[in-house]
Amino acid sequence: MPDVDVLVVGAGPAGAVAAWEAKRAAPELDVVLLERDRAVGSPVRCAEGVGDAGLREFAIPDGADWASRRITRVIFQAPDDTEVLVAERDIGWVLDRTRFDAHLAAEAAREGTEVRVGAEATAMIRNGGGGGDGRWHVQVKERGREETYRARIVIGADGVETMVGRWAGLDTRVPARDMESCAQYVLQGIDFDPDAIYLQFSDAIAPGGYAWIFPKAVGVANVGLGLVALKTDGRNARQYLDAWIARRFPNGARTGFTVGGVIVHTTIKKTYAGGVMVAGDAAHMINPLSGGGIINAMKAGRLAGCTAAAAIREGDTSERRLSAYHLAWMELLGEDHLKYYRIKQALEHMDDAFLNSLARTVNKIPREKRSIGRIFTHALIKHPQLIPVAARFFV
Amino acid sequence: MRRVTPDTIAVVDLAVCDRCGLCLPLCPPEAIHLELNILTVDDATCTGCEKCIAPCPVGALAMTPLIPSPQPMAPAHA
Repeated sequence: MPDVDVLVVGAGPAGAVAAWEAKRAAPELDVVLLERDRAVGSPVRCAEGVGDAGLREFAIPDGADWASRRITRVIFQAPDDTEVLVAERDIGWVLDRTRFDAHLAAEAAREGTEVRVGAEATAMIRNGGGGGDGRWHVQVKERGREETYRARIVIGADGVETMVGRWAGLDTRVPARDMESCAQYVLQGIDFDPDAIYLQFSDAIAPGGYAWIFPKAVGVANVGLGLVALKTDGRNARQYLDAWIARRFPNGARTGFTVGGVIVHTTIKKTYAGGVMVAGDAAHMINPLSGGGIINAMKAGRLAGCTAAAAIREGDTSERRLSAYHLAWMELLGEDHLKYYRIKQALEHMDDAFLNSLARTVNKIPREKRSIGRIFTHALIKHPQLIPVAARFFV
Repeated sequence: MRRVTPDTIAVVDLAVCDRCGLCLPLCPPEAIHLELNILTVDDATCTGCEKCIAPCPVGALAMTPLIPSPQPMAPAHA
């Protein structure tokens, strides 16, 4: 029975950063990072966009092989295709997640983490109670063999379908209204501004969510959408996407397809239990307005890794000790997500006619004066329907 | 465990399912499992609520009648 200090389940951004931070903070610990799939970073279930500043806290994108494209512009598209350009500098990057996740796992390995691919956790129970040592016994299937790992702390970074959370007794379920069903193609040979990301909002195109174009190279992009199934006309996400692409890019070559769920909710009520922390998508640590989760996951992974290292050094991996992780996360980003969630709820009442009219209002502001503050002020004067939304910024 | 036996329960078409895991957190009784790249719906736990059906991005889940297990037959007498 392998005996480890920290067992991290899931080698995505949350898990890899959790592993390296734990090892960096306490090099004497045995840290193992498990990846269910046979390759870290695959399959990609992601639009791959990240903000520049957040990314730089963890990895330097300039010249890196895992950074596909630098983004300097955001283009919002109204339902009638009216474009609103929001120009800024160094907005973000579109990653190559296959390489990016492998890069993060390699960094974890460089710190001394043992990375195991094709290794899936299938159950875990705590050796608790009166005489127990409080360690988690985790069943791991690897190449047809089954082994039981004994771990002081398990970090669940196992994504939207998290099982670690369930096994630890945490409630990781989500209401259907807060689940975005996403589908995406990699399209080649299409015409768009390769320095911009495009976001199109429309109930007819992607009800309850938005459609996106995220450039991978000149003429190549992740083209996808996310929608809330409760608001659809009965078609699934792939069918909505096929219809949008048929109109926008009828001649694009579809060289990749992926689907996935994005939880646009707020952080689960409790992200920890005795000897367990959950991080990233598994704990619903996603910006509910944008659906972005990569940087959030890495920040949560850093908190979980550091908390694990400190707790083990202190010899206290109790639920009470690990609650510090939850508090730190809520202070860092969790509280902001609660605010964004309220804004998302208010925005749900904006229909396509309103969005078309809003786009034209914003386009009357000269481009160089188009700051978020000025857009907001103009929009409020012309469109009093937005006042309840604005109010929610402050509550 | 469910309290009432539903008329229909969810089933997955594994030829269509992409193993994305989106349906797992949507299931109130946690009847859906993803293990070794196979998605399964536990027919003893599914309550037939249909919350997983529409959100599937590729339409891999559908409802099917839950057929009760047959009663043991009385022994035949010659």
